[in-house]
Amino acid sequence: MKMPSKLALLAWFAVGTAGALASLPAIPVAYAAPAAAELVKMLQTVDDRARNSGDYKSLVYIEQKEKDKSDLVYQAVVYRRDETDKLVIMFLKPQSEAGKGYLRVDKNLFMYDPSVGRWERRTERERIGGTDSQRADFDESRLAEEYTPTFVAEEALGKYKVNHIKLTAKEGIDVSYPVVELWLDQGTTNVLKRQDFALSGRLMRTTYYPEYMKQYSPSKKADVYTPKEIRIFDEVEKGNTTTIVMQSVDLNSLDDSIFTKAWLESKSR
Amino acid sequence: MSATLGVLIQMALRNLVVHRVKTGVVGLIMFFGTFLVVSGTAMLDSIRGSMEKSITSSLSGDIQVYSSEAEDALALFGSMGMSTPDIGEIDEFKPLRETLLEVEGVKAVVPMGIAMATVFGGTEIDRVLSDLRVATRDADAEGTAMRVEQLVQIAERMRKDVAMAAKASSEPEKTQDQLASLDRVLAPGFGADLAADPSGTLDWLDNKVAPIAADGRMLYLRNIGTNLDTFPQTFDRFRLVDGELVPPGQRGILLSKAFYEKQAKNFVARELDKIKKSLDQGKTIAEDAVVSELVARTATQYQRIQFQLSPKDAVIVTERLRTKLGRTDGDLAALLQEFLKMDDANFADRYAWFYQEIAPRVRLYEIPVGEEVTLRSFTKSGYIRAVNVKVYGTFEFSGLETSDLAGANNLVDMMTFRSLYGKMTDDQLDELADIKASSGVKQVSRDNAEDALFGGGGSLEAETTTAGAGFDEFAGLTLGAAATAGALDTTQYTTAQMEDGLALTAAVVLDEGGDVPAAIERIEAAAKAKGLAVQAVGWETASGIVGQIVMVLQVVLYTAIFIIFLVALVIINNTMVMATMERTTEIGTMRAIGAQRPFVIVLFLVETMVLGAIAGGLGAGAGALFITWLNHVGVPAVADALVLLFAGPRLYPVFTSGNLAFGMGSILAISALSTLYPSVLAARVLPVVAMQAKE
Repeated sequence: MKMPSKLALLAWFAVGTAGALASLPAIPVAYAAPAAAELVKMLQTVDDRARNSGDYKSLVYIEQKEKDKSDLVYQAVVYRRDETDKLVIMFLKPQSEAGKGYLRVDKNLFMYDPSVGRWERRTERERIGGTDSQRADFDESRLAEEYTPTFVAEEALGKYKVNHIKLTAKEGIDVSYPVVELWLDQGTTNVLKRQDFALSGRLMRTTYYPEYMKQYSPSKKADVYTPKEIRIFDEVEKGNTTTIVMQSVDLNSLDDSIFTKAWLESKSR
Repeated sequence: MSATLGVLIQMALRNLVVHRVKTGVVGLIMFFGTFLVVSGTAMLDSIRGSMEKSITSSLSGDIQVYSSEAEDALALFGSMGMSTPDIGEIDEFKPLRETLLEVEGVKAVVPMGIAMATVFGGTEIDRVLSDLRVATRDADAEGTAMRVEQLVQIAERMRKDVAMAAKASSEPEKTQDQLASLDRVLAPGFGADLAADPSGTLDWLDNKVAPIAADGRMLYLRNIGTNLDTFPQTFDRFRLVDGELVPPGQRGILLSKAFYEKQAKNFVARELDKIKKSLDQGKTIAEDAVVSELVARTATQYQRIQFQLSPKDAVIVTERLRTKLGRTDGDLAALLQEFLKMDDANFADRYAWFYQEIAPRVRLYEIPVGEEVTLRSFTKSGYIRAVNVKVYGTFEFSGLETSDLAGANNLVDMMTFRSLYGKMTDDQLDELADIKASSGVKQVSRDNAEDALFGGGGSLEAETTTAGAGFDEFAGLTLGAAATAGALDTTQYTTAQMEDGLALTAAVVLDEGGDVPAAIERIEAAAKAKGLAVQAVGWETASGIVGQIVMVLQVVLYTAIFIIFLVALVIINNTMVMATMERTTEIGTMRAIGAQRPFVIVLFLVETMVLGAIAGGLGAGAGALFITWLNHVGVPAVADALVLLFAGPRLYPVFTSGNLAFGMGSILAISALSTLYPSVLAARVLPVVAMQAKE
């Protein structure tokens, strides 16, 4: 028997090694979980990108779809003065809803209905105009201030790489949901998906933010990022969905009087 | 023939006496079976009769007519399900009313609709601030001064409480802020602040001072919209308790007295009423843990009295409480707490004193008769509608005063019902379609949302735009269209305006003694002839949960009767088979001396039938006696649903010849059926068997 040449042996060895390596399962490159401080920083970035140091006004379209019911649609204007935590949501359309609105000052949320000329104090969980949207969906992002984050995993959301993090409400802070999970786009830090949980751990809502608007703010002297579209899926009443579309955003300063009850009342007189 | 029957009966009686044990066992079963059938069916018939009285004369009429396109069944007293049932709509009531009134036997037709609403029961300070806002807006100097005085009094009491709580507070900064806010209200310059900047000061009060008080609560009202002019005459159990009827052609609400007392009343008064009810039932504060807990809880709620007393009344009540409790000092809070810590010995006295001295000085009901209330509803279309109406009075249905079920509905006029129901017009629907179309929103389903929204992989950020000239959100809009600035709608509506238009059902009252099933047939035929898409149901079906209770009772009773009769059938059958075996010689002998097989069969049948007649007769008699006794003493309605079923706090059942005949008929049929097999067995006995047995 003729002995194989050194070259042939080397070739066999190379092929064998390559085959053995190929048969091994792929070993993932470990993703270093961000430290707690990094996570807080991430939340601060989310808040900072959305925050405008001056005033904010947007024209929004709200649509609520409910099983076995006709759709609920509104056009509303949202006024925000983040510096003093003030918010006004006023419905403009349909005509029967025009003039109704909400005013949030400090931690108080009030609802006004011009057809009865009355104000009512409402809770954080108020369903805005009977939809699945809540005050926080229209307000300034205060995630870092309200929640403590923990890292869950690095995941994929469609074609995007995201950081999945879990937020738990800080003690003594009144929020709509005590536990929230966020999926943050690794490239932009934009929130792409959010799930809200009740204290019992029950999933209440899943929200998607598929697109953001970037707008230069003269008062902030930087860009402000606003979700162009918000899609809320009710996880309790399956089949109910709310879509919010920011139709226009204006970052010019607003009149002080807007954030008062008298102003909202006066608009309907 | 009669001679043969006579012989058969004689023989049957003899056999019954000879076989005493068998007779006793079978007879006892027959006795109980008949007793149960007679007393059970008599009770059911009585309940059905009383329920018919309470339901037809209080809300439903004899027949309810509603849309044949309804997705759910009509349930006037509510259904087992949680959601509001979809019972369709009658877009135009007029043609339906005219058609129904032409049907033979129909006496009256009343339009009805069901609408849920909420009333926000704010705190005392919310109420004062709301009134103060109106007073400043209307430049009402006197009203403003009065409200400010009230506000200052409330702030004084709140300050004391906050200062007390501050000692144990885990949030000292928050309490300091609250004290500072209350101090500003109590400062001498506060009136001037308000005069200088009413809007700003009121907003500050809403945001800083009002939240210090406890949260208000929400009241839920189930409202039946109807023609309030004809309702009291059509439903003769209706009785006005407080206030007045809604004037003809006016909008208004009449609250159910049960709702008024059990939900809209001041918390402390409501709890005291509950304690009194328990004590009237023979319970004691000392021995009953629930009642004693109720007393302890009530005492902790003293602020619900304290905060409602005006400054003058607070002084009066403090003085009178000191005298009452024999104290020389102590502030109002301490005195109220002591007063509310009641025991069995002083409860009756303090309860009476509360209603005499305290109740007239506080807001005893959250929505008092004579005042205006804002009803808010989530309409069928999903939009929220609110309407201000005056509370004209309270009502109850005679005999059903204590029933929560009968008192679950409040009455509103048809115009208010239509506002709360919120059916959209075609124009409104077109407007919604336009808004939707202009939004350009694409539909995404929940199942593939992530792929649809994030599967493209494009940029997540839209083109940068600069903060330009902005936009005018009010361009081309008229916002004041729906505004009434809170004014009550005092339009004088005609009967036609009230009645014609949208309704959900028509309550049909028949002439005295009308046959409901026959009338339903006539109504449906008449409606069909006129092309009206409606269906008619009897009061029992229309009542919803209450009718379901009777159905459940019926099923339970008939199941029990069926089981007892099945057991009776098996036992009688087995006993008779055993008796046949024992009596083989006797039967063989009878056969040997000429008795034919049919004679043997009939002999056995007659034997059981005679026993059935005697035991069944005794059972039926006992059942009748039992019902007579119940009729004398009355069956108490121990649960709320029973009050409605019994048409009052006690049911006085009666039996009819029908109940007796049904009981006797059933037991005789069971007797015959159960003896069939043993008698055939006996007929097969041959004379030779008797001979062999002798040998």
